Order: sequence, then structure tokens, then C-alpha cells
Amino acid sequence: MELWILFGSFAVLMLIGTPIAFCLGVASFATILYLGLPPLVIFQRLNSGMSVFTLLAIPFFIYAGDLMVRGGIASRIVAFAGSLVGHMRGGLGQVNIAASTLFGGISGSAVAEAAAVGGLMIPQMKARGYGVDYAVNVTSMAALIALLLPPSHNMIIYSISAGGKISIADLFTAGIIPGLLLAAALMLTAYFVARSRGYPTEPFPGFSAVVHLAAIAVPGLLLIGIIFGGVRSGIFTATESSCIAVLYALLVTVFVYRQMNWEGFVHATLGAVRTTAMVLLIIGTAAGFSWLMAYLRVPAALIDGMNAISQNPLIILLLLNVLMLLLGTFMDMGPMIIITTPIFLPVAASYGIDPVHFGVIMILNLGIGLNTPPVGAVQFVACAVGKISVWQAMRSIWPFYGAGLVVLGLVTYIPAISLWLPAMFK
Amino acid sequence: MTDNPEQTSRWSRIGGTLSKLSTAALWLAGIGLVLMTAFVAWQVFGRYVLNDSPSWTEPGAVMLMSWFIFLGAAVGVRENYHLGFDVLLYVLPDGSKAALRTISDIVVAAFGVGMVWYGSQLVALTWASTLPSLGLPGGFDYLPVVAGGFLIILFSLERMALRFAGVDIDKDVNVDEVPEVALAKEA
Amino acid sequence: QTVLRSSDTHPDGYPTVEAVKYFGELVKERTNGRYSVEVFHSAQLGEEKDTIEQVRSGVIDLNRVSMGPFNGLIPETTVPSLPYIFRSVDHMRKVMDGEIGEEILAAFEPHGVIGLAFYDGGARSFYNSKKPIESKDDLQGMKFRVMQSDIFVDMVNALGANATPMPYGEVYSGIETGVIDGAENNFPSYDTAKHAEVAKFYSLDEHLIVPEVLVMAKSTWDKMTPEDQAIVKQAAKDSVAKQRELWDAKEKESRAIVEAAGSTITMPDKQPFIEAMGPVYEKHVTDPKLKDLVERIKAVQ
Ligand code: NA
Ligand code: NA
Repeated sequence: MELWILFGSFAVLMLIGTPIAFCLGVASFATILYLGLPPLVIFQRLNSGMSVFTLLAIPFFIYAGDLMVRGGIASRIVAFAGSLVGHMRGGLGQVNIAASTLFGGISGSAVAEAAAVGGLMIPQMKARGYGVDYAVNVTSMAALIALLLPPSHNMIIYSISAGGKISIADLFTAGIIPGLLLAAALMLTAYFVARSRGYPTEPFPGFSAVVHLAAIAVPGLLLIGIIFGGVRSGIFTATESSCIAVLYALLVTVFVYRQMNWEGFVHATLGAVRTTAMVLLIIGTAAGFSWLMAYLRVPAALIDGMNAISQNPLIILLLLNVLMLLLGTFMDMGPMIIITTPIFLPVAASYGIDPVHFGVIMILNLGIGLNTPPVGAVQFVACAVGKISVWQAMRSIWPFYGAGLVVLGLVTYIPAISLWLPAMFK
Repeated sequence: MTDNPEQTSRWSRIGGTLSKLSTAALWLAGIGLVLMTAFVAWQVFGRYVLNDSPSWTEPGAVMLMSWFIFLGAAVGVRENYHLGFDVLLYVLPDGSKAALRTISDIVVAAFGVGMVWYGSQLVALTWASTLPSLGLPGGFDYLPVVAGGFLIILFSLERMALRFAGVDIDKDVNVDEVPEVALAKEA
Repeated sequence: QTVLRSSDTHPDGYPTVEAVKYFGELVKERTNGRYSVEVFHSAQLGEEKDTIEQVRSGVIDLNRVSMGPFNGLIPETTVPSLPYIFRSVDHMRKVMDGEIGEEILAAFEPHGVIGLAFYDGGARSFYNSKKPIESKDDLQGMKFRVMQSDIFVDMVNALGANATPMPYGEVYSGIETGVIDGAENNFPSYDTAKHAEVAKFYSLDEHLIVPEVLVMAKSTWDKMTPEDQAIVKQAAKDSVAKQRELWDAKEKESRAIVEAAGSTITMPDKQPFIEAMGPVYEKHVTDPKLKDLVERIKAVQ
């Protein structure tokens, strides 16, 4: 009965359009009242769930992303990517993906990436005769690269949801090859789709232009080395690196690019507050929800259920992937990680799957869910930038879904793709 | 419903006050974010340059984050930027849409009441203890919950009142990052 | 039939988790099944600070926690958490099993919790990647990660080393890359956190021998009959021996593992370490009641 109240009221509230944070909070509130336990525990979890030092990385990376978009770092990266791959078939699609890969190395959020790269690329692609649906789909799928490449605040959320005992440096490192693999798969798909649609190529601007644009982009791109090198070598923690990213972005945009003024700074700050408050309130209310699931022994029941289905880790991974894809269609990534990690990770671990490997699987899987309606934040942003409806985008997104699923399959069943690089650093 | 000018001016006065409150909360939250950046930067600076890591930066930054999230979350209720699942609402007629939005606002307000009531209980429960490193009473941890809950109640009541008065407040959200991108395009 | 829910931050199979399960079996047997205990291990219900609040408000019934998170609430609990307060594990056991232990348990009640029994939390010592520590002088200038607490920072500084607060999860790479020279913990954690891979020198200075505590919510306790309360109290006491047995075995096992993996274990003379604590005690033990408690603990032979 308790579980019916918990999940039932959550589902009903979500259907009527209540903000997700409050669906989680009120469903937990109602359940705890039914159980007759002191309800203060839900509000304790609300605060404790978000009062974790490691979570500071979320506001910092969001803040840094805002500053980078506003202060011209993102646009210079796009220009550099354009000179590199613009001459390929469907050139601007390739530019979009290359820019997303570079920007993904300094940005931790796929939504920010879709807004930044999409905002710069989609209008250009439109003007050059590309289908808007193509531009939107390339943008939204390429934005997922940011989730896998370090830094990635979703990996930090995963580490925290797993009890804070998984090394964030290892997770960051583990995402690199899968991230590049996704970039390659998307470039290939973009190429074939562009060829069948007869999209143009851009002239190669010449090596001196590439070098020139690279030099202009370097101050921003240096952040890739600062963040990854700093975290990997232990100079600062992942959380501290996110704060360094904010300071560095300010430094570059104010003193090097001179494009950040007081007004832009205020807008970026208040924008970061809004986005962070939205994300972290969900994390807080989800903490109460997860507490109830633990109290009601949901994870243990699920492990038993899985055991009854199969003893084979390959089948279990398939099941977990399908389950996450299904849930990911109608839930957002952050709350999904927080709610399902404590349930799924013990299942995966009981079949001998490495927690770092499972983290990469989960991030990629739920990342695809960011591009599936009805709840798909990245897709919504890309569609909004391209000014088309989600349904228009959906009609031609299938090849790109295919690329994403192929990479997901490879990452799931070849652990070395994720685990080889972190092992190299040991 | 808004024919009576006296009533209208009272509404707009209340709305004006709440608007100022909301702006103040948002600015406070923004200052909190900047301070938090400074705290963590100081922590790194302290470790490498002063060779002495201050122990207050971590708990201090976490407490600031708690404040700016709850303030920002309350402003989010007023500005309607919390993420929701709006699919059913698209296909429904306007009348039932407004009814469902009102139910949502009641739900939000109810959670705000819980935040104030049980947040206060938590403050009372933990007031006698002392937070390590900061030396403040433990109840400080839960004050942001109470303050945020209070603002959430006010702002969700305001939404219900405005909808009842016929103001269109249920504009779609979720894309507020998009207009900002236009700014960056100039580069 | 009542299920008592108990929290623990350690994983399943850990000595404290197993001891509370054993306590539950005793309670179930002796109350003819009227009460049983369910242990939520691995911090499923929250970290220690949170679960203490949950016990105090009656959300959960039992909690196995360290003393540290109680320090800000119950001054008496700070005394067993002082560096070098106990000369040895035997000294600690003798004190906590005796009337001083009872006195500290009784200090919990005004705060909504009933102290049932003290478990062993092992002895924490320094380990580092640089050199074997044979005496206090060897510590000079070394950087150690310590828990986020003023008293531990002051302890490390009083020993002539530098304290560096750092999240536990970052310690491995911190030692590996030389950001810090070492950290401090008991053998089981030194082993399971894999810190032995990067910090080969473990010096048994045993600066902290802090007992852990099993507590019950006062609201749960008050609902029980005096007979059942007596059963619970006795079962908790009986589970202590079991916990110590498991703990000793665990410690021995971990020590054997790290030694086999190449760790060097030194035993520096503790007296200079103890003497260096004078200013730390002066700064942190100001209450006359606590000063008296310190003197009485030191007097136990
Ligand atoms: Na990234
Ligand atoms: Na989705």
C-alpha cells in the first residue's frame, strides 16, 4: 500500500503537470503521513540531500557554462571547429559535432551545450539550406557528448548517489573514450544523412586560417587541460575544479576576450541561480523519495526480482538498459540518477559489474533519454532554438538514435571502452 | 472580476510587494553564489599559497548553497521555471487546464507549509547542538528550509490569486536559456 | 510484533552491522518474537548526522554511530574522542565498560536518545608514502589529511605536522600525486580504501581510540515495558563481546593483508606524542566537568 501511495501520487501529480521537484516532495510527504512516521524526515532529507560539498560542482559548472556562452568562449570554439571540419560532407553538421566535442570538454551540462552550440549553429545551418530538423537533431544528440567527456556534473551526481565512494576522477576518465566514440558515431551518421539529402560542403579555409582560429580559441580550450589535468593529478578536487572553471571563464571573458561586462555578469549569475535552484531542488526532494524507497526495501525487492529472471550478467545489463531507457523517456536525468542509482547499482554490483563502468552506461543511457519526449530537456532546448516542434524533430531523428544505441551497446558489453583509460592512470 | 479599481490597485500593490520580494530573493541568491565561489577559491588558495587549509570554507560554502537554492527555488515558483511534465496539459481544454494548474499550485503550497512547519521542528531539534568548524547552532542548517517554504507559500498563493483574477500566468517555460543565447551570437 | 529499524553507515558484513544483527537475534529470542531488529546498512537512511536526527525525532528506532557527530550536542562524548586519551585499546574497554562508560551513556537521555552500549571503532594511526615513523620527530613538516574537525587539525599541528582537510574519496589520489604525504585511519579502512597501495608506512601511534555507540530512540524506549527495556539493555551489552570478537578478527585480517602487500609497520614511542597534547587539551577541554572526566579516565589502570 505504501508503495502505491508513493509511486501512485507521484505519477498522478506528474501527469497533471506539477513541477517534478514538488511531485517527488509531496508524494514522499503523503507516504510518510500514511506510514505514521514523523514527516520531518522528508524535510531533513530535502536539506541534507543537497547539502553535500561535492554537489557544489553543479552550480559552478552551470555558472561557468553561462559565462562561457555569454563571454564569447563558445563562439570562438565553434569558429575553430568550423575551420577544421567544415569542408566535410554536410560540413556544418560536422562542425556542430566537433564544436560540441570541444565545448563538451569544458562544459558539464548537455542542456547548456545544446543552448550554446545550437544557438550558434542552428541559425547558420538554416541559412545554408540545411533542414532544420537535421540541424536540431545533430545539435541535441551531439550535446550528449558533454555528459561523457569530463567535466560532467551528472557523473558527480552518480558518485554521490552511489554513496560518494566512487572516485570522480576515475568516472571522468572513464567517460573520455565513450564520449569520443559517440562523437565519431554521430559524425558518421551526420555524413550519411547529409549525403542522402544532398547537403553542401564548405571550402577549406587553409591552414593559416585554422591556426589563427585555433590561437583565438586556445584561451578557452585551455580549460580542458586545466580541469582534467587538475583533477587527475589531484591538484584540486572535482568540486574545486568547477570553481576554478568559473574563475578561469571570468578571467578569459573579461581580460582576454573583453566581452564580459557587468550586465552580462549579472545575467549569468542570476541565470545560474535559476537553473541550479531548479536542478538542486529536485535533488533535494528526490532524496526524501529515495529515503522512503530504502525504508520500504524497494532495492532489495528488485534484486530478488532480477535474480528470479536471470543469473546472467549480460541479460541483466540488457534488462537494466531497457528499464533505464523506458524510465528515461519520461524522467529527467538528474532525478533519474538519484532515484535509480541506489536501486540499480547494487543489482549490477551483485552481478560483478564495475561501478565505474555502470556509471558510464547509466550516463549514456539516461543521456539518450534527454532526447526522448515527453520529458527531454536537451531536445526541447534544441527544438526551441530551431523553432520547430518536438514532433518535427522526431520524424528524422531515428538514424541518430541508432548511432546512440550502437554506442550504448558497445559501452555496455565492452567494459574496456570505459575501464581501460582509468586503469592506465593507476 | 477586476472591474473595481480599488480592488485592482490593492492587487497590484500586493503584486508589487511580492515582485520586490522575489527580486530581492533572487539577488541575495546571486550574491550567495558569488560568495560561494570566493569561499572555494579561498580554500584552494589557502592550501597552496598559505599552506593552511581553512576548515570553515567547506561547511560555509555548503550552507550558502542551501540558502541560494531555497531562495532560487521559491523565485522559481513565482517565475514558473520549475521543470514539469506538460504533455497532458497540451491536449486538454483551457478550463480543465486551469483547474489542473490550480491543483498543482495547491500541491506546491502544501509542500511549502511542510517546509515551514517541519523545517521549524528541525531547527528546534538541532538548535542546542553546535556545528563543527562554523561554531553556529545546528539549527542554522534548516533555516533556509523555513525561509524558502515561507516564500513558496506566498508565491504559490499569488499565482492562484492571479489565475483566479484572469491573468495569464501559465506561459510555457523550460526554454529560458534560449533567449540568452541570442546575446552570445554577436561574437 | 514490532520491527525496530536500525541504521549503520558501514556495509553489510562489517563488525558493527553484524553485531547489531546479533543484538536483534537476542532481542527477538528473549522477547519471544515481540521485537525484532532490521539493519539498514551502507548509509541507506542517511549519513550519521542525519540518522542521529532521525533517532532523536523517532523516525527510526536504533542507530549505530561514531561519537563524533554527537560531539556538538553532548559534551561528554567529546572526552573519549580526544587524542591519546586512552593509552591502549584495553584501557578504552576498561573505561567504557565501567562506571565512566555508564555515566557517558546516561548523558544521551536528555537529548532524546538512550545510550545502550559502546562498540569498538579500532585505533587510528598515521600512514604515509615517505618514510617509516620511528619517533615524533619523523612527523615534522609532513602533510596529513585529517577529518574536518578543529581538534584533529590542532592535534596534527601540535605534533609538528601539517593538517590538510580533504574529502575522504580524494585521499588516494592526493597521496599518489603528493598533494598530501599521508592520512590516518585504522587497519581495516587503510586496507579497504586501498590507501596501503600508495602509502606504505604505517606507524602504530594509536592517536585516536574512539568507541562507537549503539543508541535507541527515547520515543521507542518509552513505549516498552520495563521488562523489555531490561532485555534490550542486556542484549546490547551482550552484543559488545560479539562485536569486539569480530572487530579483532577484522583488524588482524586487514593487518595481515597490508603486511603481505608490503606495508611497513612501525611502533614509535607514544610518550612524546601524548606529552605534545598539552596545549590541545588546554584549548579544547575547558569545562570543569569534562576536565574531571579526563582526569578520572587517565586514572583508570
Ligand atoms: Na563535459
Ligand atoms: Na526523455
